[in-house]
Amino acid sequence: MPALDGVLVVDFGQYLAGPFGPMIMGDLGAEVIKVEPVHGDGMRLAGKPFFGCQRGKRSIALDLKTPRGLALGEALVERADIVHHNMTAGVANKLGIGYADCKRLNPDVVYCNTWAYGLEGPLAHFGGLDPLYQASAGLEYEAGAAHTGNDPLYYRFGMCDAANAMLSVVGSLAALYHQRRTGEGQMLWTSLMDGGAVFASDALLVDGEVVPRPRLDQGLHGTAACYRLYATQDGWIQIAAVTEADWMALCAALNAPELADDARFAVATLRAEHREQLETLLVPRFLARTSISWTHALDDAGVPNEIPLDSLGGELVLNDADNVALGMVAEYEHPMMGTLRQFGELIQFSETPGVISRPPPLVGQHTREILEWLGCDAAEIDGLKNDGVVTWPGDEYPWAV
Amino acid sequence: MGALDGVKILDLSWGIAGPLGVLLLAEQGADVIKVEPPGGDPFRAYSGYAVWNRSRRSVTIDLKSAAGLDAFGRLVDDADVLVETFRPGVTDRLGIGYDALHARNPRLVYLSCPGYPEGHRLAPRPGYDALIQASSGQQWEQPGWRMGPIFLHMPMPSMGATFLIPSGILSALISREATGRGQHVRTSLFQGALLYTTQIWQHVENAPAAFHDLMGKSYPPGVHQQMLFECANGEWVHTSVMSGLTPTESQDHLLGLDDAPDPYEFMALPPDERQAFTDRRREGYKTHDRAELVANFQAHNHAIEAVITMEEALGATGAPHPQLLANGMIATVEDSELGTTTQIGVPINLQSTPGAIQGPQPLPGAHNREILGGLGYSDAEISTITGGSR
Repeated sequence: MPALDGVLVVDFGQYLAGPFGPMIMGDLGAEVIKVEPVHGDGMRLAGKPFFGCQRGKRSIALDLKTPRGLALGEALVERADIVHHNMTAGVANKLGIGYADCKRLNPDVVYCNTWAYGLEGPLAHFGGLDPLYQASAGLEYEAGAAHTGNDPLYYRFGMCDAANAMLSVVGSLAALYHQRRTGEGQMLWTSLMDGGAVFASDALLVDGEVVPRPRLDQGLHGTAACYRLYATQDGWIQIAAVTEADWMALCAALNAPELADDARFAVATLRAEHREQLETLLVPRFLARTSISWTHALDDAGVPNEIPLDSLGGELVLNDADNVALGMVAEYEHPMMGTLRQFGELIQFSETPGVISRPPPLVGQHTREILEWLGCDAAEIDGLKNDGVVTWPGDEYPWAV
Repeated sequence: MGALDGVKILDLSWGIAGPLGVLLLAEQGADVIKVEPPGGDPFRAYSGYAVWNRSRRSVTIDLKSAAGLDAFGRLVDDADVLVETFRPGVTDRLGIGYDALHARNPRLVYLSCPGYPEGHRLAPRPGYDALIQASSGQQWEQPGWRMGPIFLHMPMPSMGATFLIPSGILSALISREATGRGQHVRTSLFQGALLYTTQIWQHVENAPAAFHDLMGKSYPPGVHQQMLFECANGEWVHTSVMSGLTPTESQDHLLGLDDAPDPYEFMALPPDERQAFTDRRREGYKTHDRAELVANFQAHNHAIEAVITMEEALGATGAPHPQLLANGMIATVEDSELGTTTQIGVPINLQSTPGAIQGPQPLPGAHNREILGGLGYSDAEISTITGGSR
């Protein structure tokens, strides 16, 4: 039985920062019902990012803007442990699924809203996409080494969305744990803006002054001479010679006793101070041998290192025998797209193993069975569909997958 | 009160993911004791340490001594959660592995977060963040100003595990409410890296090439990178097509490009004319002061942010970011070592049980007497347990 067995998450979210959190809660054993508009989640057009946030869920497609559709949404809220969405200010209230509405229907409910900016404040009424918060948290400035005169650089992982979603998982589960112990539900919120800030949480001011943190070189190789990528004869190597013992081992592997004796590089603080001089000495040395030769030499000497993997867009990682054997790859059959593969279990439990078995749902794929579970009979269900209140795929599938 | 009041956590972790993951629980009310080796956590000098290790007490324990192990066991008897980030096998050698501690306290939730998962061929290898960026394929996924792998300044594997650690702990605590039993919960920095591949690593058997191209890696870097614009004085902004609001004036008009085609006309232009206009637009941005541009765009319902450093967001060069401030994310912490510091606040907002910073990073062993004395140990015994450190 998985850890969150019996927990029902009703997911009214679209795009990324809403849906990703419920997907992770689904991996942990929660039952997740995705409530999407009758024309489908707007993110479906994007392909990969949509698939990445939807596995394990069942979809009911309904029009919350109709009274009968709202009544069905309310019936789901009544049964929910957690209601989760990423609508912008006022939208949920207008639809009739704001916190006050949900609390009236289900007094103990945990209600989570993932925002772009935040609940209140000068920009709270704005929506927004991940790049804005990579900018506001300094991620793009540092990623591109803009202090060297480079352009700022966007991280293509879209990780502020994921951070917002994961903060919402931690917050929702903390609220659920509190609810299980006290019987009291509550509302919580997280934001893309705060998620971005967590990524730069090593930033610190003392008496208002900047405390310097390690920065990238202009070539985007790393943050220190001994913690960076070096080009080799045929590729690359990442080294992490962090301790003094690692440094001595690196000098040995490089067959460079003169570096070990050089007073400029005697301890880590001096190596940081003379970073460019040291890098100038190390760059040509690493160019002299192949990556595989270096990794063996560095391993033998005891220097932490890895050859950067070109995974061909993840294919090599998702097909790696160890990753598959350890459950870190999930594979499922999609009714239209064939076999899908994505990362699998990110957290493993000795007593309550998770189960990942269901592909991202089609628009309204589970409308019928969810309506039956809510107690609707066949005539009612057909009536709802004929009136455009709900939908599900028939012989034709007119929506984005 | 906090949502996690009464939850006792022993934090044996070091680096980024363990301390920061535990912080998310500490600031929702969990009582965290950082267990440090004699001499203190070797990573104290790292940037971010003071932030990631705040809101907890510290005890130094020499786990290699019988007295230290005995005292540690008594802390375990009273704990709900233990968090450790050693390489697989190390805790068993120390005598504090899952099996031993589970036998002692069956309600204990024992979370392990090494670099690589136990049983993986890479598990014996060092688990520094940058090494996992490399081995998990993330460096190759990021395009930059040259071909080849790009070092990720943001420690991505650690920042993924940061969220997996508290998620796993809370799931196990919720499960324990039903079963009465704790368990071994395992994640890793490697799995943390995988968390952020959710938008880009999908194997889809029947997908057309366009499915991969849309958000794929490209040179020069793709869609969102093209929305970064240089303003006057070498400063930058990032704009977005989606603000959730209805713009009251087009971006081009706000830039002073009054003859700009509307978006549909623009899309219909031949590629060379489109490029020519895009170049004009880039030049247009350069004639505007960043602060004025941001204010003007936002006043007309356009999504835009200045590309700043996190230190600027915290207020290093003027007013802090107004929304970060409104979110309670600019915190002042009196640090016994550093003085008056400005740090991020609490990023999870529970409305009925609000979280709060519980205090600055503790000095190593700052609570030795309080914690070990509380267990009934004498000063002489405390000296032995702590390896004479304090």
